[in-house]
Amino acid sequence: MNSDILRFPSEYEAIQAFIDRGWTDGMPIIPPTKPRVDLFIDYCGRKPDENLGVEPVKGRTITVQKVAINSVMAGCLPEYFPIVLASIEAVLEPEFNLHAITASTMGAGVLSVVNGPIAKEVSINGSTSVFGPGHRSNATIGRAIRLCLINTTGSKSGEIDKATLGHAGKYTWCITENMESSPWSSLGEDRGIANNSSSVTLFAGLSPTQVSNHSSTDPKTILNSFRDALFAAGPSQGEIVITLCPEHAKHLNDAGWGKIQVKDYLYEIAVRKDDEWGVGSIPPGPKPQGKSDTHSAESPDSFTIVVAGGNAGAFSNVIPLWGGGSNSRSVTKPIN
Amino acid sequence: MQTTSEIQVLDPTVEPDVQSSFLADRPESLDGSIIGLLANGKKNSEELLQYVCDTLSETFDIERSIAGNKGNASRPCPPNLLEELSESCDVIITASGD
Repeated sequence: MNSDILRFPSEYEAIQAFIDRGWTDGMPIIPPTKPRVDLFIDYCGRKPDENLGVEPVKGRTITVQKVAINSVMAGCLPEYFPIVLASIEAVLEPEFNLHAITASTMGAGVLSVVNGPIAKEVSINGSTSVFGPGHRSNATIGRAIRLCLINTTGSKSGEIDKATLGHAGKYTWCITENMESSPWSSLGEDRGIANNSSSVTLFAGLSPTQVSNHSSTDPKTILNSFRDALFAAGPSQGEIVITLCPEHAKHLNDAGWGKIQVKDYLYEIAVRKDDEWGVGSIPPGPKPQGKSDTHSAESPDSFTIVVAGGNAGAFSNVIPLWGGGSNSRSVTKPIN
Repeated sequence: MQTTSEIQVLDPTVEPDVQSSFLADRPESLDGSIIGLLANGKKNSEELLQYVCDTLSETFDIERSIAGNKGNASRPCPPNLLEELSESCDVIITASGD
């Protein structure tokens, strides 16, 4: 099914009309002319009317062409398009629970972590200011995913999107890991993707909490700094992302700790009596009762470790996921 | 034909798949009815529905109510629960109770 052609007196007026119709994130876009869109479709070698999936509640069918249109609008280059396509295929998987995460008052963004050779090929930043501005691929891939959600699922602010607060990651949120500085395997490898292949993992992420520890090289002392941030996410999280900066990861690795030890220790220390958890502050999931202990995570495997950020500085973060990390599960897709 | 300054762009949006549907018949009275109360799993949803049922009982001679809870507000109601309630009840009331 071909998209309707819209005519405007000038490029500027097309941009204004897209903003006025609520088809952008509030910022100007690149007008998606057919030649521009066709460049993207030709690059990936897929048919424009190929059905990537159906949005589960409104029954909207999302095609390759619609994703290409929104990728052009976001300012992507054609070589980013396979990443956006794989990301959209990922969020359409039932376990991601797309409608809920885009409609809920909890206000999730969609975090994409790209691994493998394509990250370097398209210059995705995983180092200094990894979550900040200044890198076209980071900025526009994440934006393309958001524009797809706005335009192909109808997740417009105040309409389907009922977020109480939301957060800045809802504009764009795409990173890679700092594999030059990481002592460990990549997230893609952890999810079963060969290290010479590319993948993207999507998370329904809530506001991150930065964790600082400049004073210690001892693994336990560093990880103890994460306790309060983990408590803020609520109890029994099914999944939760830990972004370790290279400096923290190095200290942990130098002491002989790998991801398994880190996860085990975080699980062990982020625990408290049930009546210490804030009553009424609990997201969906098991409800604390009585005086027994409840951990912040369901199990050590609930933690996903990502190594990213600049080599200078001892700042990591905790990214809780929507719905207690159990009603939306992260999804990894290979990038073809 | 495109003029020099005119621009033609593609529509980025997708329309919903609109399917015709209908509202269930509204009974003239709830006297003698079995009322299903289908909670959505949110905190207070069961209490809200029970309050609605109690309020209706002040006006109607309701035979009894059957409570169900789909357990997860972000997922559809399990088909077996929906089937069970629809077979057992004359009317089902559902609501969010955040």
